[in-house]
Amino acid sequence: MDASTRTKSRSKKPQYSRFTQQELPAWKPILTPKWIITSFVIIAILFTPTGLLCLWASERVVEIIDRYDDDCLPDSYSTDPDSFIQSNNTNKTCVRTLKVPRKMSAPIFIYYQLDNFYQNHRRYVKSRSDKQLRDPDEADETEDCKPINGNDDGPIVPCGLVAWSLFNDTYKFFKGNKAIDIDKKDIAWESDKKYKFGSNVYPKNFQKWELIGGGALDESKPLSEQEDLIVWMKTAALPTFRKLYGKINTDLEANETITVVIQNNYNTYVFGGEKKVALSTANWIGGKNDFFGISFLTIGGVCFFVAINFILLYVLKPRPLGDPSYLSWNRNQGAQ
Amino acid sequence: MSLDDAQIVNVNNPQQPSSPDTTLQRHVLDLGSKRSRDSERYSSISMSHREINDGDARLVHVNDALKTNERFEFAGNSIKTAKYSLFSFLPRNLFEQFHRVAYIYFLIIAILNQLPQLAVFGRGASILPLSFVLLVTAVKDAYEDWRRHRSDRIENNRMASVLVSDRFQQKKWKDIQVGEIIRFSADDTIPCDTVLLSTSDPTGVAYIQTINLDGESNLKTRYAKQETLCKTPEKDVINGFIKCEKPNRNIYGFMATMEIDGKHLSLGPSNIVLRGCVLKNTNWAVGVAVYCGRETKAMLNSSGAPSKRSRLETRMNREIILLSVFLVALCMAVSVCAGVWLKRHENELEVLQFYRKKDYSEPEVENYNYSGIGMEIFFTFLMSVIVFQIMIPISLYISMELVRVGQAYFMIRDNKMYDETSNSRFQCRALNINEDLGQIKYVFSDKTGTLTENKMEFKYASIFGVDYSGEKTNFEGEQRGYSIQVNGQVWRPKMKVEVDKELLELSKDGNNTEAGKHIYDFFLALAACNTIVPIVVDTPDPAEKLVDYQGESPDEQALVYAAAAYGFMLMERTSGHIVIDIQGERQRFNVLGMHEFDSDRKRMSVILGFPDGSVKVIVKGADNSMFNIIDKTLNLDILKATEGHLQSYSSIGLRTLVVGMRELGVPEFERWQSSYETASTAVMGRVALLRKVAINLENNLEIVGASAIEDRLQKGVPEAIESLRKADMKVWVLTGDKQETAISIGYSSRLLTSNMHQVVINSNSKMSSKTSLEDALITCRNFLVPGGSDGNTTSVALIIDGTSLVYILDTELEEQLFELASNCAVVLCCRVAPLQKAGIVALIKKRTDDMTLAIGDGANDVSMIQMADVGIGISGQEGRQAVMASDFAMGQFRFLVPLLLVHGHWNYHRMGYMILYNFYRNAVFVLVLFWYVLFTGFTLTTAITEWSSVLYSILYTSVPTIVVAILDKDSSRRSLMAYPQLYGAGQRHESYNSTLFWLTIADTLWQSIVVFYVPLFAYWKSDIDGSSLGDLWTLAVVFLVNIHLAMDVIRWTWVSHASIWGSIIATCICVVIIDVIPVLPGYWAIFDLASKGSFWVCLLGMSIAAVVPRFGVKMFIQHCKPSDIQIAREADKFGSSMELARQEIELNPSRR
Repeated sequence: MDASTRTKSRSKKPQYSRFTQQELPAWKPILTPKWIITSFVIIAILFTPTGLLCLWASERVVEIIDRYDDDCLPDSYSTDPDSFIQSNNTNKTCVRTLKVPRKMSAPIFIYYQLDNFYQNHRRYVKSRSDKQLRDPDEADETEDCKPINGNDDGPIVPCGLVAWSLFNDTYKFFKGNKAIDIDKKDIAWESDKKYKFGSNVYPKNFQKWELIGGGALDESKPLSEQEDLIVWMKTAALPTFRKLYGKINTDLEANETITVVIQNNYNTYVFGGEKKVALSTANWIGGKNDFFGISFLTIGGVCFFVAINFILLYVLKPRPLGDPSYLSWNRNQGAQ
Repeated sequence: MSLDDAQIVNVNNPQQPSSPDTTLQRHVLDLGSKRSRDSERYSSISMSHREINDGDARLVHVNDALKTNERFEFAGNSIKTAKYSLFSFLPRNLFEQFHRVAYIYFLIIAILNQLPQLAVFGRGASILPLSFVLLVTAVKDAYEDWRRHRSDRIENNRMASVLVSDRFQQKKWKDIQVGEIIRFSADDTIPCDTVLLSTSDPTGVAYIQTINLDGESNLKTRYAKQETLCKTPEKDVINGFIKCEKPNRNIYGFMATMEIDGKHLSLGPSNIVLRGCVLKNTNWAVGVAVYCGRETKAMLNSSGAPSKRSRLETRMNREIILLSVFLVALCMAVSVCAGVWLKRHENELEVLQFYRKKDYSEPEVENYNYSGIGMEIFFTFLMSVIVFQIMIPISLYISMELVRVGQAYFMIRDNKMYDETSNSRFQCRALNINEDLGQIKYVFSDKTGTLTENKMEFKYASIFGVDYSGEKTNFEGEQRGYSIQVNGQVWRPKMKVEVDKELLELSKDGNNTEAGKHIYDFFLALAACNTIVPIVVDTPDPAEKLVDYQGESPDEQALVYAAAAYGFMLMERTSGHIVIDIQGERQRFNVLGMHEFDSDRKRMSVILGFPDGSVKVIVKGADNSMFNIIDKTLNLDILKATEGHLQSYSSIGLRTLVVGMRELGVPEFERWQSSYETASTAVMGRVALLRKVAINLENNLEIVGASAIEDRLQKGVPEAIESLRKADMKVWVLTGDKQETAISIGYSSRLLTSNMHQVVINSNSKMSSKTSLEDALITCRNFLVPGGSDGNTTSVALIIDGTSLVYILDTELEEQLFELASNCAVVLCCRVAPLQKAGIVALIKKRTDDMTLAIGDGANDVSMIQMADVGIGISGQEGRQAVMASDFAMGQFRFLVPLLLVHGHWNYHRMGYMILYNFYRNAVFVLVLFWYVLFTGFTLTTAITEWSSVLYSILYTSVPTIVVAILDKDSSRRSLMAYPQLYGAGQRHESYNSTLFWLTIADTLWQSIVVFYVPLFAYWKSDIDGSSLGDLWTLAVVFLVNIHLAMDVIRWTWVSHASIWGSIIATCICVVIIDVIPVLPGYWAIFDLASKGSFWVCLLGMSIAAVVPRFGVKMFIQHCKPSDIQIAREADKFGSSMELARQEIELNPSRR
């Protein structure tokens, strides 16, 4: 008796628990034909209207795009665009007229669009100094900015290829003879203005030496107020991109003609890039984009098609679930 | 110090006066003293001179630690199992960790990344994965090592009583040195390997428990030499030395000679107690330390079993090579494209705003960070290797280890593999072949102790040609069995044996009748010819004591118990004599020598000095080995009759032993004695010498009789074998037993059935083996002609014996045997030697890709267990060697069924799925990175932040795959047990094969395209910045791989829910955290992104679009070509099958 209790207490028998015996309560979904068809139909039902919604939303966005890089190049320079754009003496003003196809209600966003410009190029993306942009005491932090980092006379602020290549075409919009106000406030992210670009950091030595890569900066304004720079320095993800230039806070009526006066300063001719100016309204889906609508409709359609096929399959070739006679060894026996 | 003559006399006369002094004994003693006088003539100088030259021995001066250790060559007794010290930890641990190829790959990538030209990731991000893994492992190692340090400290500071300047003083274990004399009390743990000098027992016996060493719980006996027995170390000066082998790890062997007071003694394994053993049933013992600390046998044995590599992992490595090829291809593609791009834009590079090849800041215009197209291509290649590094799923190796630990946890804790009788759990000794358990095709099983219980019960006896196999009686009146009176106490054997009434009556007659004489001889032989030690155990009743026969062989135990039941009760055994109570009369026999059992001779013998002065050799052994040495000229008819009886015993599955005896004349005895003495004192080659002496002695025996012992089948063996066979595993039984025994066990274990055709091969030459093999092949083919019988094809069973195998294995006949065996449903090999067992396993292993499993319990199965892909040890009666050599150990044969069919199946399925999933998971991420590279001028910019790409495989997606691989069950235990055929999934490699691999890769390609291109088109020509799009891709990939996993999870427990949804949430949190750090480029990106509707639409659209094809195809296959497991799962859930429920009740009657 004594011995038996002792051995019992020393027993190595594993303690029973649902966990150790791998018997935890579990949900074991088995997708029966009903479930499969239902799920495909649900996807179809979900996606088709969403696709239509997206298409409709995209349709409501009014967008005017005008490519001007070629047309703003005087014919005399067409073989040598570089000398045109690099010269200080050429007249770079260019006038374009745009027609508003439908009523555009405020706010209307003005974008410039570059093609074939690799703002995501590895050399380019890394060529900046975020420390320098934030803190005036770190102006010398220009290691990553080479070769645009300054010289013995002092560091360049902001340094690096990104800032150096600042886009500097300007647009002015006229309705008839009346200029349309362009709101250039708050085109950059609030977070960038607050934390990434210091309100006490001023441009220094910018675009002073060597090649000029792009726009210059007002040295009296702190970086946090240089919104064009901030927008530009938020490097685009893809080689074709738009960046916000400003906003028009008045409505444009359908069939109105607006004139754009462009200062064609920025050199995209060197890499065969395109420059476009775009006016666009926006709604929940963002800008004009039919891709969502089309792809959602496609997915919905495919799922609907698949659902029908599954229905046919189950009708024509049913298989009772869990029927042991379908087990391979039973099937083989049946075959013999 | 000189020798003391008085001591010699003292030593020479150790026997108790009670023993009758025979002439022979005196003779022996004379011999001994003469020899000692001889050796005395060699001065001690010449002696030690000879031994110092002897390179293979160590010299221990008894009680003279200074002299012993004067050359500082022996280790002290302090042990250090800890690997590291405070200072050596860092370098040593790192060194050990970098032994893994995976870590070296990590390291090279990290180093490459540190070159400024190639710096793709920042310093921190590039080192993080490696340092994370190193840190985790280092912390684990440090913790383990700290525990080892602690236990070392406790161990080293234990106290022992050591002789210091003629007094026993307490001393810490770590200060004990070789040569010191140590005294142990009862229940003391032995601090170092010690040669016994004397014990509290007057005969010099000490009982030890070796449970710490080999796990055996029965008491073992160790002896002090008679010559040292009488010395009390405090008073008598012990002067001498021990010459012993160099330290080695054989815990069952020890060879040494002791030179004490001028006498030359041989020491063997029975004279040494090893570190870690516990002294039991002995008040005290005194010994001299010979091996200390790390040189003790226990410490030398503390390394683990040799590791095997799992089949799945080997196959996986093949696919890893393929993945490396993909990786190189991707990198080549990128670098070639980069080269082409540079070439096409060569002229523009200087002025491109985003390239700026030239540096104008210095007076001399130089190229900045540009070293020509060729170098740029090369750098791009290396950079792409860095970016795409996780294409090779390094984390997979770590995950696999974790998963195996988890699987082992569940196997060990499985209640259904716990053995009540031996109180043992399942043991996972090897941690890297769990999944092999799911792919076994061949099972090689030992018989004794594996299929059977190895609890022997004496059944019948054939004594001098008379068969005593009558009805057993359970005497109502004499139920308590035989007992004797000792000092007013009743002593009885611990185990009762059913006795044959007729034989019992006859045995009581004693030597008076002819039959009685033979019976006397027979039972005397049974009681004497063994290595059993009787131990007297107290009972609650003070007037009653039980005699427990302890020994290593269960057969011997059964025989001794049987002899006791018939009135021949072994009462005492020392190295010099035994006392047997024969029908109430106590008699003392001198054990003049013993030739222990070995597997070559297959017999043992003892040379017994009878009280009347005669000397007899008693031999006991397997029948075939015995019949060779029995004198055929005598009693031929009795021999014949015995053979007939043996035949009938073994045909009902009994184990038989034959006993023979011969009286030795004085000249022959003396001849034997001298050669025995020389052989047993030889330091080198003693075993072989002793065997030769034994063979010379064991001949021309007179037959005494034969015994039959029953070894019952273990519980559940027939059902287990049936399950294994249903699971399409071939069960081969390899046994040392006789053919008839093997066949009868085959029938009772349902291995053989009556409708099987048996092909028997018994040949004793190469030619006859060849012809019988050919004949067998022809018969086999005839039987295997399909359609011969209606659906129920007759299967063929091959029965082959060890002698034939001698001529077949390792010759050109092997091929034929393999062909024959692979056509047979059952193979029984009988009378096979241990090495042949391994040979048979190798025969299959060499010729097929199928997985082999060997299961056994004894030392003779060790080679087979190590040879097979999976070795399983049964922790049974026959010691622990098999368990020590095995990969897995368990208590009962029938646990093989849940182990293979349930755990093996799960493990295989889980591991296979996990590998494929890990390939997919990493490849999909790499491909997304790759597609993006095509849109960045081939410059390896990553939109996904470096932190996310580093955390992807170690944090975002690692936990669910590990959890699922530990917990998911593709089928319930119930179905797996009810349908053993489901096991075929593993045998057919259904969870991991190249088709699945390529399908996975195709799916990966599609999913990566969806994940990448949906956002690309959605955000083309938009003002989205790199970081925002990167966040979108990060989230999309993580969502996708988790949804993918969720789709394949079969059982959703709360753990799987928590891990899958938890890691999605964790990823979101991480992405948010990364985006609120202002110094990182993607500051605030995720908030800006999430505020737009397009992000959510995009995420939803691509998650669905990516998984729809997989879902559709999976559902299609599930319906049209359902796997067996799928059907079983459905049946399990919808309960449509009554069959299942019925079988469940049958299989598990004890539950509920």
